[in-house]
Amino acid sequence: MGKATVIPFGPQHPVLPEPLHLDLVVEDEKVIEAIPQIGFVHRGLEKLVETRDYNQFIYVAERICGICAFGHSLGYAETVESLMGVEVPERAEYLRGIWHELSRIHSHILWLGLAADAFGFESLFMHCWRLRERVLSIFEATTGGRVIFSVVKVGGVTRDISADQFAEIKMTLEGIKDEYRQIVNTFMKDTSVKNRTVGVGYLSTEAALNASMVGPFARASNVPYDVRSLGRGAYGKLSDFQPIVDTQGDCYARVKVRANEVLQSIDIIEELIAGIPTGDISVPVKGSPAAGAQASNVVEQPRGECYYFARGNGTKYLDRMRMRTPTSQNLAGMVKALEGCELSDVNMIILTIDPCISCTER
Amino acid sequence: MEYRSDFSRCTIDELPALSSRLKAEGWRFVQMLCANTDDGIDMVYSFMKDGHLVNYEIKGVTKGDVVPSITNDFIAAFVFENESHDLFGVNISDIAIDFKGHFYDLAQAEPMTIISPAQKAAKEKAAKLAAAKAAKEKAAAAPQEDDAAAKQAELEAKLAAMDPEKAAKVRAAMEAKAKKEAAALAQAKEKALEEKLAGMDPEKAAKVRAAMAAKAAQAASAKKGGE
Repeated sequence: MGKATVIPFGPQHPVLPEPLHLDLVVEDEKVIEAIPQIGFVHRGLEKLVETRDYNQFIYVAERICGICAFGHSLGYAETVESLMGVEVPERAEYLRGIWHELSRIHSHILWLGLAADAFGFESLFMHCWRLRERVLSIFEATTGGRVIFSVVKVGGVTRDISADQFAEIKMTLEGIKDEYRQIVNTFMKDTSVKNRTVGVGYLSTEAALNASMVGPFARASNVPYDVRSLGRGAYGKLSDFQPIVDTQGDCYARVKVRANEVLQSIDIIEELIAGIPTGDISVPVKGSPAAGAQASNVVEQPRGECYYFARGNGTKYLDRMRMRTPTSQNLAGMVKALEGCELSDVNMIILTIDPCISCTER
Repeated sequence: MEYRSDFSRCTIDELPALSSRLKAEGWRFVQMLCANTDDGIDMVYSFMKDGHLVNYEIKGVTKGDVVPSITNDFIAAFVFENESHDLFGVNISDIAIDFKGHFYDLAQAEPMTIISPAQKAAKEKAAKLAAAKAAKEKAAAAPQEDDAAAKQAELEAKLAAMDPEKAAKVRAAMEAKAKKEAAALAQAKEKALEEKLAGMDPEKAAKVRAAMAAKAAQAASAKKGGE
């Protein structure tokens, strides 16, 4: 056994799109312990709720993250609606569900590309991102934006999707499916990919439960928890929803879970489009949240469960707004998965939790 | 699995036992947050099991209080406990991975406890508006009462000078008018109350409705008993 050495990893590192620092305690090439540190991009967005009223803050909420922008605006709006007892029209719920699943598709394909880049498969990375562009085009056509959409508001949504656009979306998604299956085939069967993922960063179901993990990271360790299975909003209208899980608990399983979730999201969108009712897309919301009233909410973001909390003070400004993002919840699990791994696998394991530090620090 | 969300109270002393019990019962740690108030920091610990989200609140934690860490039971809490220390100045003991105030690299210590001038102004404005509204309502109610008494006395004098039959007719007409006005007033009050309840937290509104129904039932039974 060699001498223990501490290797600083990040905050500036080629594999990290955002600043995360790890002190890796290694013996020879084996990681004994990993101590994470964040705090390099803390923006104090939760504090901004004091100077932006509850309608304005939705635009701040969706700027927490460039990937789950829609999910944050949805989670925030649902929390304030719960705080004020607002009932959203059914069509708005369906539209929110469709956009939310499109966000999941583009987030997961983006992640698959980053994973391919991390293990040095450049052409696979480019194929993933090329495919993702077509999902972004759907966003551009239906919301006007590719990253920030601003279509959710307290009480519903600001834009409707026409029948022609729905037909276009279905056609695009059908077109994506075949190409996507080919890409996934490479992820699942290519030897060079398997060499970097199979058996790497293993985490047992028990360890995942102990670390309170969420999202695809937990589901790859056979934790069958997905907020969508609670059947809220449009998800309650689905004929069946079963979380995608895997029992292997390694990096390969995390790739597999995310890969399959993209196809599941396409099926969900097709079902929601088939069943979307006609009617209003929003209701007028008047007044302010009552003083002392508080509400909590959970939403399944692409990276996992996100928790929201809001407290009113009788004015149009909220007293407190809180977003607990999936990455902050998964940091403990990531540290656990890093214990005992090879130094060369650290980047792969970090990537498989799909860390979003901007979300975590807000 | 059906989703529901509740809020419950807890104290600092009860926290370690609560955390151990929830861990043993298979609850999952969801998050921990702090909120700055005039009486100190409110801490909210959230746990979930089978779609049931419970938020345990510890009210008014002050600088002198030491909050025990729950990382022995739920390691994922280390992120939030370090955050609470750095952003709110909450003193938390025995955190499994303790950054001792260096979790966030901040330019300003305990930034979330600072009440911004804009927030202070908004709160003061809201308080002033509420006070002015209450004073206006009070002022509007007082002269109306005096005026009403004077008018009633004047009317009584006029009626006394009238033919008794005509006076009786006038009295009957006035009573009918008063009844109609009282009914309209009660209806308006009920409408205003419904609007107020609609703007409230649904759980709180349900509680208020239940309390009102109980009060009405009590009044009805008392009236029946009296009869």
